[in-house]
Amino acid sequence: MMDPTCDQAKTLMAAAWTPGELDEAQASWLRMHLAGCASCSEEMALLSNLWQRLGDLPVPEPSAALRGRWEQTLQALTVPQARQGDAARPAWWRSFWPANPAWQMAIAALCLAVGLGAGLSLHRGDSERNEVAQLREEVASTKEMVAISLLQQQSAVDRLRGVDYSARMPSMEPQVVSALVHAVNLDANVNVRLAAIDALGKVAGNTRVLESFQEALPREDSPMVQAALIDYLVEAHDRNAVGTIQNLVAKPDVNPTVRERATYAVHQLAQ
Amino acid sequence: MTAVAGGDLHSMSEIYERRHKALFRFFFRLTGRQSPAEDLTHEVFLRMIRYRHTYQSGEMFEAWMYRIARNVFADHAKKHRLEIPAAEGQMEMVESSRPTPHDSAVKQQDLALLHRALREMPVEKRELIVLSRFQGLSYEAMGRILGCESGTVKVRVFRAMKEMGQVFHDLRREKAS
Repeated sequence: MMDPTCDQAKTLMAAAWTPGELDEAQASWLRMHLAGCASCSEEMALLSNLWQRLGDLPVPEPSAALRGRWEQTLQALTVPQARQGDAARPAWWRSFWPANPAWQMAIAALCLAVGLGAGLSLHRGDSERNEVAQLREEVASTKEMVAISLLQQQSAVDRLRGVDYSARMPSMEPQVVSALVHAVNLDANVNVRLAAIDALGKVAGNTRVLESFQEALPREDSPMVQAALIDYLVEAHDRNAVGTIQNLVAKPDVNPTVRERATYAVHQLAQ
Repeated sequence: MTAVAGGDLHSMSEIYERRHKALFRFFFRLTGRQSPAEDLTHEVFLRMIRYRHTYQSGEMFEAWMYRIARNVFADHAKKHRLEIPAAEGQMEMVESSRPTPHDSAVKQQDLALLHRALREMPVEKRELIVLSRFQGLSYEAMGRILGCESGTVKVRVFRAMKEMGQVFHDLRREKAS
């Protein structure tokens, strides 16, 4: 059996490799132990040498592309913030106006058509006001198209913008809900999945969303997304989800934090 | 980070400047590859923004950041089965950023073996060595990251180093024979 003082020495050996980890008393104790223990002394010499040589390994450097990617992401994320300070543009305008010039032109053309329609309606009476309503619907439908188009982009940043754009729409149409549900289930990027779950908070009582989340939960492998799905189901008081969440609790490889949250969720939903 | 947690995303630039290289190196040492290491680094910053509200003022920032980094790596490893060490031919060797005019060929060969020994370690032990040797973290900080006492971390680091010493020794013998 190994001498307990040798065990103590091993803890101090690891501490001795890092500056500032050993106090004077510990350093002195270790020196004395090493002087009297050939086995520990040999181990210390070998491993200290290895520790030193690890410092000779070359230092990897990130490519310039990483910084470019980060700057692009930060810019995309902070644009809405920057616009908040722009008093010249009211809130409804900021939420409405897309960044893509093609969509800007499309919306501008539709606005012109709405204007013409509204002008004509003043002369043509009530029967023609239906045309204005129709044009308004077209504008709303264009906004949906922008959101759905962004959600289908290859870049995760664009898809995140699509989710953000969807979340800022005054009402969420079924097609947008479908696109967001699709993102929760199949998007490869964890952040997009998480953002889509958040955005779907607007339609928390939607049966289709709840059912799809129950299906997504056992398949999901990210603990953070699992936790977000559980929170969503609890917020929506979806008692039908109890079985699915209980199955997750029973899984042996589930993340401990997720298990804790899932157990709490089962308790909440059972009340 | 407190400013970011309060909603000031522009302050993330400063955090990025200070930490992105350390995070990249952490992931590079774990994955052995440039491109995944960059992807994972980027992902950590995205998650820092997303989960900024979970940072508590006064909390050790490094511990919070590396906890996120470990989760990012765990998600990545799960998808890519990183438990299996990369084959030697697949490993990306790093060109030294420091000039080594006096290095002998033997020393260079030893460094390559050392690099390989690190890559052949089980990922959880490799992570211990990377955090303690390369990331400049104290054992107390490591304890907060790993969720255990600093004394436990020291013992685990010692054992990981001992195992790596054995792997390195075996590789040298294999090379010599």
